[in-house]
Amino acid sequence: MESLIQNILNALQWGSFYSLIALGYCLVYGVLSLINFAHGDIFMAGAYFAFFGATFLLGKTGVIPPGMPGWAVLALTIPISMILTSALGVTLERVAYRPLRRKGAHKLYVVITALMCGLVLENGNLALFGASRKNFPTLVPQIVYSLGGVSVTNLKVAVILVAVLSFLFLHYVVGKTKIGMAMQAISYDRFAVPLMGIPTDTVIVFTFVLGSSFAALAGVLFAMSYPVLDPFMGALIGWKAFIAAVVGGIGSIRGAFAGGFLLGFVEIMVVAFFPSTFRDLIAFSILLLILSLKPTGLFGVARRTKI
Amino acid sequence: MLLEIRDLRVKYGNIEALHGISFHVEKGEIVTLIGANGAGKTTTLHSIMRLPPPEAPKVLSGDILFEGMSLLSTEPHDVVRKLHVALVPEGRHIFGNLTVMENLTLATYARKDGASAISADLDRVFDLFPRLAERRNQRSESLSGGEQQMLALGRALMSKCQTLLLDEPSMGLSPLLMYEMFRTLKRLNEQGLTILLIEQNARLALRFAHRGYVLDTGEIVASGSSAELAADPAVKKAYLGG
Repeated sequence: MESLIQNILNALQWGSFYSLIALGYCLVYGVLSLINFAHGDIFMAGAYFAFFGATFLLGKTGVIPPGMPGWAVLALTIPISMILTSALGVTLERVAYRPLRRKGAHKLYVVITALMCGLVLENGNLALFGASRKNFPTLVPQIVYSLGGVSVTNLKVAVILVAVLSFLFLHYVVGKTKIGMAMQAISYDRFAVPLMGIPTDTVIVFTFVLGSSFAALAGVLFAMSYPVLDPFMGALIGWKAFIAAVVGGIGSIRGAFAGGFLLGFVEIMVVAFFPSTFRDLIAFSILLLILSLKPTGLFGVARRTKI
Repeated sequence: MLLEIRDLRVKYGNIEALHGISFHVEKGEIVTLIGANGAGKTTTLHSIMRLPPPEAPKVLSGDILFEGMSLLSTEPHDVVRKLHVALVPEGRHIFGNLTVMENLTLATYARKDGASAISADLDRVFDLFPRLAERRNQRSESLSGGEQQMLALGRALMSKCQTLLLDEPSMGLSPLLMYEMFRTLKRLNEQGLTILLIEQNARLALRFAHRGYVLDTGEIVASGSSAELAADPAVKKAYLGG
């Protein structure tokens, strides 16, 4: 029983990481029908920006004197990472995606461009900062709460809480605000959006800001939970989050979260009963089965062709 | 002059769709452009709206002037929010994944004149089209064709337009709905709305408009008051069925 609850908590934590990344895929796909394959690397960049922000604020670079308390460093590191990562995401959109959109390029070229952007980010990081891994500093001491036989850290609680709050926030923004409606409108009929007096590019930039800043949030939390960073850390987790978004039903925020948590659960539960080398094999076989039964994903709706 | 098209040559895709057309619309007028399929009518409206690439027609030479100012470097959303020009596009292009109310709200995206002015306009739209009021919380893709046309028009009115471009508004409407809509448009015109109408149904268009132009494969071949055009033997033969 205790180990089951322990596993559920771990699954929720991993599900939170996947969900936070998946929703970036989901938002950009929802608005532009573009699979932004660079998004996993945006997550990696978020973790790195957090690393540089935190080491700078802790006084390790010698620019400012050390002595700032850990919680204050964390409180500043999160917005710093979110802002810089958003800037990176928006830069990709401006430099790589927008020119193609302007020329009416076929989706295939845009997707390939996204893949290449991801590779450029990974290898740009490798070239700039070398292959050595970075150790993310401890900002807040870990507190372990034990209830019965179950132990849970303050960090794990924070990760899950952040994911849930992010979901509620985005659900509100996309569903209830004017800019959220504009995002939905672009996904349905991009032609008519400027006719409403809406600057389409501004809404698209906003979409990238949202997706990138939540990837940054995931990056900070991930770096705190698993404090070893390397340039390729975003690749596999990005792929997995993308698969989670598709299984959940890409284009729907609920779907991104459901898919993220589903993947977290499946992975952790497989490891609970099988050797850990079986994890991805069994996990993805299960997801494959779900997709073959429901090809639009759990919360996806088949897009009816317009007449 | 409210809107003046001056010697406009436009490329759409790889072909030159307009070969130097000129026409104008005065404030408070109803002007119609009639012509067969492929004559360049829609391209003309899209050029005026400055629609962005890749849909955009590319202006080769000539000018589009609104109150004497060139629109050639204006962004499409600014044509709507700063110049108060709206287009009801062919095929309506309503946002089917949003409710009727959300569609109408979205059209007020760029308005800065406050909630009370917006809610007054909403009352006006619901007054003109009571069906929309009944269905305000329905997803708009579930509306009938006629209701979708009303929504497309209501949306344009919510953007606070003073000049309305209409692209084939009668398409897919029953005769009854069609006459009802044209009566509504006439009333809006009497309240000050300037209208530029594109129609394949030339008979209907000439009955409705004050003046008209005949567009034939990218060139204006006739112009005059509606009565003159309707009496012109060539126009009669080509567009009014003899």
